[in-house]
Order: sequence, then structure tokens, then C-alpha cells
Amino acid sequence: MYPITYNIPVDLFPAHARRYVIVRVADPSELALKLSDADMGKVQYFQILSPDIEPDNIETLSAWGRDIPVDILIDDPVAQFPQLYNFAKLVDKHPIRASIAVTAGFGKAVKLALALRFAVKLEIGQPAPELIEELNEVLDLYMHGRHVSQPVEFFHSIFLSEYRQEEVSMWMVQEDDPDHFRFVTDDGFEMLSRRFAATGHGQADGSQGPIDITAGAPGEPECTSCEFFGSCRGYFKWPESDYDCSGVKSIFRTIADAANELRENVGVLAATQGGRSNDA
Amino acid sequence: MMRDHLSVIFLPTNKCNVNCEYCFEDKTDDRMTHEQLSAVISKLLDFMEVSDIGSLTLHWQGGEIMTMPVKWFETAYDLIEDLASTRGRRIDHGLQTNMIAYTPRWNDIIARMFGNHVGTSMDFPNLYRKLFRGGPDDYTRIWTQKVKLAREAGISVGVIAVTNQETLELGAARLYSYFVDELRITDFQVNTPFPGGEANITKEDMAVENEALGRFFNDLTDIWVERGRDKGVSVGPVDQLVARFSDEDSSLPCIWQANCADEFIAIDARGYVAQCDCWVTSYPEYFFGNIFEWDSLSELLKNSPARKEFLQRPVSIIDQSCIECDYLSMCHGGCPVRTYTYRKTLQEKDPYCSFYKSLFSHTESVASGLASRETLRDEDEKPGIGGLETAAQQIIETEMRKAPRYSRPLVQIEPRRRSVVN
Repeated sequence: MYPITYNIPVDLFPAHARRYVIVRVADPSELALKLSDADMGKVQYFQILSPDIEPDNIETLSAWGRDIPVDILIDDPVAQFPQLYNFAKLVDKHPIRASIAVTAGFGKAVKLALALRFAVKLEIGQPAPELIEELNEVLDLYMHGRHVSQPVEFFHSIFLSEYRQEEVSMWMVQEDDPDHFRFVTDDGFEMLSRRFAATGHGQADGSQGPIDITAGAPGEPECTSCEFFGSCRGYFKWPESDYDCSGVKSIFRTIADAANELRENVGVLAATQGGRSNDA
Repeated sequence: MMRDHLSVIFLPTNKCNVNCEYCFEDKTDDRMTHEQLSAVISKLLDFMEVSDIGSLTLHWQGGEIMTMPVKWFETAYDLIEDLASTRGRRIDHGLQTNMIAYTPRWNDIIARMFGNHVGTSMDFPNLYRKLFRGGPDDYTRIWTQKVKLAREAGISVGVIAVTNQETLELGAARLYSYFVDELRITDFQVNTPFPGGEANITKEDMAVENEALGRFFNDLTDIWVERGRDKGVSVGPVDQLVARFSDEDSSLPCIWQANCADEFIAIDARGYVAQCDCWVTSYPEYFFGNIFEWDSLSELLKNSPARKEFLQRPVSIIDQSCIECDYLSMCHGGCPVRTYTYRKTLQEKDPYCSFYKSLFSHTESVASGLASRETLRDEDEKPGIGGLETAAQQIIETEMRKAPRYSRPLVQIEPRRRSVVN
């Protein structure tokens, strides 16, 4: 059993000091102010709630908390993506990730984040059909971009999963698995992932009964017959159980085809090199 | 405030001993005392501590640095070493000089302080570098003698050249032959011109000739690959671009950084702080402040409206057209001083944009060709490896580059850690 990671506001750090935590904050200058004497051993990363911050307030992270990863939430990619430049100075001192909402125009934010050597996580939600084309463009950038050297999640983990033929869970990749992630509200109320908030399954105390995420929506046959159920595990059937997955499946198909092609090519290479291991 | 390494372009004198027509510097007779130097170094060391910056390089220039006495440098070096070692920090040094005042008396301090290397400048052909008494030919003759003298003393010499109209007309092959075959210089960099500082007739003729520059630099890339790459000749920036596109270690010039305001500053003999030597010697309206008037460099930088403009520049220009560019990750809008000199605003992209794109495209194509050529050579050495396998190998290399560069995954719970490629 792996420990649970709690996404907490910085003010609640003392109450969660012995837990694995993601410390979220609107103003990063508060981190050094409030955590300067804290044991940071179980801090998984700092989460900055928006890039719309005075550059001076980012300076704190230039001189404090070195090596602790920083995750920047981009909820409005088109308006906010230029602000990513203000975090570029941190890249020698912290691993940086931009968590980007998949809304129209989000590709610009992904492109700039990658150009600044930031990792990317797509806050994928249940993408509307008109977003599938842009998702495909971003996938193409991830797979074939000549100057891309950082992972784009969930593409990266699904690609490796297909390549290695090992199962991976979208719930884990997206940090939404209720067995491993909890969200603690500003007033200390413990919730499941925000993905469940609109479903009536948001509370973490079990009062609403157990959640079977792997079954997708209860009674939803589409999931169990899906070729990608092994890694998706019903992820895209939350929160709306009648979501049409066809666009998402095409993304998974493209990733799987690329991974399979690579595995086959590597197999041929290994065979001609005398059967050496091709495990990347 | 800064990244993990701080570079300071340091001008302890604003005085110069030559009279170049295209110089952008507003020269003065100011010279820094050792007392002032000590104050500057102490504030830089404070800044490194406050900002958790690991290392510092001082890039010494002027004015003309060799208008300062050798003795001044000997004392300065000991003083800096003492201050740095007291604070447990290391300071490295680089030297950029016109070489005109060089004599062997400089050899000891060049060896001790500057790693037995100097950077200097010369154009081909030299049209604008002049002595106060004498024309470009006299300048070139003396410079050539001094470079020869320094090299005979075992000093390595790197050269920065600026293109002019005749450079472009004569072509890259002629420039390459001049430096490498005639002068035996194996480390040089070619820069684009910009008409900074006070206007004059020479500067009025400095038009942005993107197409001609593109042809010239693309030719220079090809010539370097054909004649110099395997012989250890370094031709910036084309060798660094080819290295970057080959996924080798590379160091791109300051014009192609995410934001140069996160990388370095310049300090002149009067204590003025600005973005780089071009700004501190040419554009007082963009001074960040005077280091002698502030208790700390951090506060000076934090309170500078000019620096805020620099920090804002990439944020402002990214959505103009840079976000659509295939080479965004290489360039980020280019050089602020070239933009300001030609456009009178910081908030536009570099006017050499189309030249840069042409050069990026060409050097990328050259890097790709070199990779194929070297793969074919490997195949000759390893019978039985065919094209298909080579393609697979390249895919693996590409895919593996996408592995997270950081040593600590963002989320460290075990299942995810195991899923990340090693």
C-alpha cells in the first residue's frame, strides 16, 4: 500500500507535517515566510495556483527550497501562457512543470512551456470534440517536435506503458487516484480529487459509499470492451458518464501505434545486434 | 533574481585608446579605484548569497581594459581572491581587449587571472577599426603584430568579428581563410552589426540585411563543416548551433536566451549597472541604477523600472509571432539592444529575425546531415547493421531524450516513479 499524498494549502502545513504533501499557494513568497523552519522531507512539490504573479514574488524560489519541484497551474492558457517566462529563471534551481487546462488555444502554453524546458501535465478533463484536433497537434509536437526534450503527461506515461507493455493507470498519471491523492480545502475539509467534485463523490470520508473508478460509470459497458481500458480505467467517464470517448480513443490509438512501431524497430535492431536486450 | 550562475560584464575603465567609427560606447575618462572595486565585489558576493547563486564570472572589458596598468590588475586579482575565499565563493575571469596596448608585461596576469586566454576583436576586411592617428590598415598591422606576440607567449587568442558590407560581398570563404589560414586563429565568432550610440555616417549605412546575412552565415556553416569541424576550429555561433541541433553540449550567445535579464548584468567604471555593455555605455535612460548608491544589488535590481522592462520583454512579444515560430526554444525574440537600436522600443522582436530563422534552419539541416553521415560511417564499421535498424536507433535516441531531465520526479509516490523511464 502506497501512502496518500495530500494537496494542502500552505497554512495547513503544520497539521499535515508528517504526511506526503503537495503544498499549494497563490503567492510563492509565502512559502519561505511560512515554511522556512519546516521539515520539507515529505513535500512532493509546491503548486502555484496561477502564473499571474508579480515577478518579484517569484524571486523567493530563486533563493529558497532548491530542488523541490514547482508546479504552475494554468487555468486560462491563452491569457496566461506568456507569464510562464517569469518562471524561466527558476529552471536551474527547481524542476518546473506547467499543469495546463485543455481549453481552446492551450497548445500555445504547451509549446512555450516546452521551449522553456518545463515538463507539462495536461489537465485533460473530458475534452470536447473541437479540442481533439488541438490535442492531436500537441501530441505530434510531443512525439516529433525537433526541439522537445521534456515529458508531456499523460502522453508520456501512456507511450511508455504501451512501449513496455506494462499497465499504467490514467488515474495515477493525472494524480487523481482516490486511493493515493486527497485534496484538502482551505478550511481543512478532506476531499477526493477535484475530478469527483461534481459527481457527489467528492467527500473523502466514505459517507457517500465506495467509488469503483475502474468500472467507469456504473453500468457503462463501453469501458469494459475498450481496448484502452487497461490504462484508462474509466478515467474519461468521470464526471459525465455519457461522455463520448471516440476522440480520446484516437489519441490513445496514435500513441499506441507509435509505441508499437518503436518496439518492433528496436526488436529488429536487437536481433541484428546479436539479441542484446532492447529494454529502454 | 538570477539563475545558478551570474555573469557580470565588468568595465573598470570607460577610457579607450582607439577610435573605431562604429563604436557604440559613450567613452569617458572614468576609472575604478581598488576601493571601489572592493565595494563592487562585496556587493556581488552579497547578491550571490541572497540569491543562492553558485558561481560568478567577471568578463573584463572597457573602454579598453589595457589602458589600465598591469599593476592595477595584480592588486585587483589578489583583492578579489581574498574577498571571494573569505565568503567561500569562486570567481572566474574573462578578458576582452583590442590588444593594441598589449606587451609581454601582461603575460603573467593573463596566465594567472585569465587562464592564459584573451578575447579580442577584428573584422574582415577592417573598415572601421582605427587608431587616433592612423587608419584601418595601421590598426590591422599593429593588431596582427600584437596577436602574434601573445600567441608566441603561449596565450590563446579568440576573436570576435563584426560583419560589414564588404564582408558579405567577399563571402564566407574569404573570411574563414583570413582568420584560419592566414592568421592561424582557430577560435572566432562572427556577430551582426548594430548602430548603437551616437549617430554618424558609418552607422547610418548599417542596414539590416537579413537575406545577405543568411547567405553569408549559411556558407560559413558549410565551410566550417568542410574545413574546420574535424580540426578543432571553433566558429561561433554556427558551431554552437550545429552542436545544439545535434543534441551535444552547446553554449548559445546571449542574443538567444529565454531572457538575458535572468542571465547577466554590466557594471561600468562609474558604478552604473545596466543589462549589458551595450546598454551601460550607450543608453543612460536604461541604467538600472548605480551600485555605489545602493546598499545592495538585490534592492537596486528590484527597484529598477528599466529592468522591469527587460523582464517584461519576452512576455510582451511572445504572442506577436514568436509563439508560431519553430525555433522559439532557440531564440525567444532575440536581442533587446538590437531591437531598441533599430526600433526604438524593447517590446518588439529582434529585427534580424528572418536571418536567425534562416541560420537555424540551415544549421539544423547541417546537423541532420552530419548525423546521417556519421551513422553511415558507423554502418561501414559494423557490417550487418542496415538502414531500418539505424532508423530505430535514432527513434530510441529521440524518445529517450524525452525522459524527465530532473532527478526528482514531480510526484514521488512509488508507482509513478517506476513508470518513469530511467
